[in-house]
Amino acid sequence: MGLIHLPQFDFEQAAAKGAADKRLRAAVTNNTFRKQQGREIRWREMPDIQAARRLASEIKQHTLEHLDYYLDQLKAAVERNGGKVYFASDGEEARKIIFDIIAKTNSKRIIKSKSMASEEIELTAHLEKAGLDVVETDLGEFIVQVSHDRPSHLVAPIIHKDRGSIATVFSQYFGTPYNDDPPTLTRQARAFLRDRFRRADLGMTGGNFLIAETGQVCVVENEGNARQSLTTPRVLVSLVGIEKLVPRMADLAVMIKMLARSSTGQSMTVYTSIFGGPRKAGEKDGPEEFHLVLLDNGRTEILADPEYREILRCIRCGACLNVCPIFRNIGGHAYGSVYPGPIGALLSPLLGGLENYSDLPQASTLCGACYHACPVKIDIPRHLVSLRRDIIQGRLDGRWERMFYRLWARGMKSPFLYRTIGAIQRWDLRRRAEGKGWISRLPGFAAGWTRIRDLPAPASRSFHQIWKERKTK
Amino acid sequence: MSGSSQHDWIGNVRRALGRTGPLAVAPAPPEIDEPIVRLVHSDIRLAELFLQTAKKANFVTDSVSPEELAQRLIDFLKSQNCRRVGLANSEIIESLNLPAKLRESGFDAISWNDLTLDETYDLDCGVTDVWAAVAETGSLAIRPEPGNGRALSLIPPIHVAIVEPKKIVADLLDLFEKMASDEPGAAVSLITGPSQTADIEAVMVTGVHGPGLVRVLVVI
Repeated sequence: MGLIHLPQFDFEQAAAKGAADKRLRAAVTNNTFRKQQGREIRWREMPDIQAARRLASEIKQHTLEHLDYYLDQLKAAVERNGGKVYFASDGEEARKIIFDIIAKTNSKRIIKSKSMASEEIELTAHLEKAGLDVVETDLGEFIVQVSHDRPSHLVAPIIHKDRGSIATVFSQYFGTPYNDDPPTLTRQARAFLRDRFRRADLGMTGGNFLIAETGQVCVVENEGNARQSLTTPRVLVSLVGIEKLVPRMADLAVMIKMLARSSTGQSMTVYTSIFGGPRKAGEKDGPEEFHLVLLDNGRTEILADPEYREILRCIRCGACLNVCPIFRNIGGHAYGSVYPGPIGALLSPLLGGLENYSDLPQASTLCGACYHACPVKIDIPRHLVSLRRDIIQGRLDGRWERMFYRLWARGMKSPFLYRTIGAIQRWDLRRRAEGKGWISRLPGFAAGWTRIRDLPAPASRSFHQIWKERKTK
Repeated sequence: MSGSSQHDWIGNVRRALGRTGPLAVAPAPPEIDEPIVRLVHSDIRLAELFLQTAKKANFVTDSVSPEELAQRLIDFLKSQNCRRVGLANSEIIESLNLPAKLRESGFDAISWNDLTLDETYDLDCGVTDVWAAVAETGSLAIRPEPGNGRALSLIPPIHVAIVEPKKIVADLLDLFEKMASDEPGAAVSLITGPSQTADIEAVMVTGVHGPGLVRVLVVI
């Protein structure tokens, strides 16, 4: 079940590495800040954005509450359009289904557009390992593929890379002189990929939405590579998570108005493709066969939990990443998951196992910016706290921590104990400050706090004492 | 495992939701209160609004009369040094006799019906009409049909779209309603500007995998 977890991944180390990388932090902060501003400007175009967020969240929540019905409806509609529907309970099954389609259709050359579901099951790596000719066609994902890297943002996969590192990789890959001009790099990739589009016999896409009533997939993009997948190859395969459903076209209109505004700060992406089923009689392009692979991979388990169910409303816009002070400072790779940022800190443990991602729910200041940026109103901070609760409840070595908090509660409840412990603490901390006003090193479990900053020494008298003196005057 | 999960996967989802059998009646999705999400409220002067929004979407826009359309197209194609031009077999393109007029002016003009899909990769420009256009966003909606496929508006580096005002709808809500009622299930591509990317250091580059230049001619 679940996500592929990076082996020996240490969040603390990765976060420290990310935070220490000034170039990375500048790149991520610039890019995310720009996206945040774009979202805020576009949200103001809507007549009533708060009501629109509510409506979008209600549409998705309604669909989730009746997901069995809408999956049934979707399946019937896709089959009516002449397509085939498959269900994959995990990544292994999804890959097997896709490998079977490739073999059965005798497909040799595969073009693939960007999709988080395929990242989740590491599809490209598995296809490559099997010796298949597969190429990522989104510019960012193509750069990820040729540099054997990982994407670090849901929408901007190479937000962590600068033009210099891309130019170096391209110069090696294409055997051309180094040139770090972004339009030149883009043209190089275009020329290479255009030939692949032309000769492709199988195209792969993900899906931003599934429309139950018409049995269709909706994909949004800016480059046109996903549209290429729908145009030239004779076989089309779409791999989509089961939570992407909306009931009707009318609902899709609402979601489309929210997605690009929240994601890239556009009112509309350049291309919005709505498709499903093979080409019709007399048509000269488009797929001859269409296969829709629906991916569960842990989603039904989230669905079964009424508390966490609303997390499946997520439309992967990335708005919560863009506003998150933690994400901005450590970058996406530090999360060790295909789903980084605040929503990743929920999805990764819920899809990939709490034991594998127990650090991520802690990687938040709970400031609430993610909730206010979310177009479908997922209460991310609340769920982060709930996951922390689950971690504490299920943790074997939580004994000491539990004892500590029990003692803490005792101290907080008794005025005498509170004052006495406070006085001892004050004396101790002032002693450690040695009259400098700052404490640069603390012992034991408090050492982490002073490792990267100083602690100001406490005042000589407590607020309580000062208050008492004033009252008696 | 593969066999068993294909068998009753919708049942698994149903059980996750705490239900034992299928719903007896179809669920009613939330009512869409239009004032919350509608951005264009009137059908008056849609062509004017569309010209503005299409320009904002980085289309190169113009309005032309049917009489001057052929000449304007020829001038544009010459300015872009186009030679091989593919044209959709659609009513407006054929009624204005555009393929013949382009040929008279020395272009290698080929109709979609006489092209192979592979040949579209060698075209300098594709000329199409649209199934619909959206005043709210400046979007073009292309619906693949025997006379105009997916490729002409995607593969050549330049796309010219001919928009008749009667095709323009006010809001995205209207377009999606049209899609749901008029041949539901038909594929549609919405195009809102030239192909672009900002993947490398957020620098905007146009003309990645689709046309880098899209000329929109509204026939008035």
